[in-house]
Amino acid sequence: MELLRMSWTFLWLSFLCIGGGLGIIPELERQTVTVHQWVTAREFLDGYTLAQLTPGPNMKVAAFVGYRAHGLAGGLLAAFAMFVPPAIVTAVVAQRWRRIRGRPWAMTAERTLAPIGIGLMAGGVYTLARSAIHDPLTAGLAVAAALTLALRPVPPVAVVLAAGLIAWGTR
Amino acid sequence: MTRPGLARLTAVFAWVGLASLGGGRSAYFHDALVTRRRWLSDEEFLQDLAISQILPGPNFSNLAVALGFRLGGFAGAACALVALVLPGVLILLALAVVYLRGGFTAAAGSAMHGMGAAVVGLIAVMSARIMRAGLRGRLPMLLAAATAIGVGPLALPTVWVIVGASVLGLWLHRPRASEGLTPRGGA
Repeated sequence: MELLRMSWTFLWLSFLCIGGGLGIIPELERQTVTVHQWVTAREFLDGYTLAQLTPGPNMKVAAFVGYRAHGLAGGLLAAFAMFVPPAIVTAVVAQRWRRIRGRPWAMTAERTLAPIGIGLMAGGVYTLARSAIHDPLTAGLAVAAALTLALRPVPPVAVVLAAGLIAWGTR
Repeated sequence: MTRPGLARLTAVFAWVGLASLGGGRSAYFHDALVTRRRWLSDEEFLQDLAISQILPGPNFSNLAVALGFRLGGFAGAACALVALVLPGVLILLALAVVYLRGGFTAAAGSAMHGMGAAVVGLIAVMSARIMRAGLRGRLPMLLAAATAIGVGPLALPTVWVIVGASVLGLWLHRPRASEGLTPRGGA
């Protein structure tokens, strides 16, 4: 029962993510910490940091909260509720969009939305930079990573792991 | 454009997911699917980027679903979602076990911070490539810049920014406008 209520909470929270997950962080914290008390405020913050520093979408913080509250089943179920329902909507829209996009209003909508999508992405780079770059070492690693990728088609994973090693070594 | 099979698609999306420390960053997909493998054109990618950013839901996974659908229908979308999300969730759960038992060593923390910083540099380059491909003409540049400033430095609520930029964009693209983005190819 409690598992169901938690899944429902993450499900409706997932539909509040528009243009990126950062916008729903305040509501996510209110629900999980204040309303349902699945995690403490400190655990929520640490869980979000872990979600940011592990591969994949930030919103997998839901899995952290679910695990804290209800163990492995809770973690997997919370992730399912966060990712699968919006994915179904996206797949259906992606399919329909191909059929309607030839119409004039759809072309106008697309010409409007494409630059907004790019703008949201660029704004996200800014926001992420503010949280990830806080001293000369992190600034240097960011610039070095950018130059490496700009000059050579190296695999991003290799660059990320190398930066981790350097930060660990120069601590 | 060559289109991959499901196994190849799953492997590449899993790799993108694993490389995307610091939170899901859509630009990783442009690098993996357009720049490196030429499975998609810039136009197709930008179409899916717009859809995924506008629809509700975590938009990195939504983008994976939209791109996966384009490359392999509903099966492709399902493989894309699982490949992108599941490895990270399992890694996070493993770390959660360690964390809830008593925390991390400082060494692990600084390595993670270094990796997070490198990700910023990578996505800056990848995003610049997408901008170069997708923003042709003054109107799209203006719209993208207004949106980026709104959600970035001004830290306005994303929903307001999307609504405001959409209204502005629709007005700027009202019928007389014939410039703007070049006509779209693709599906």
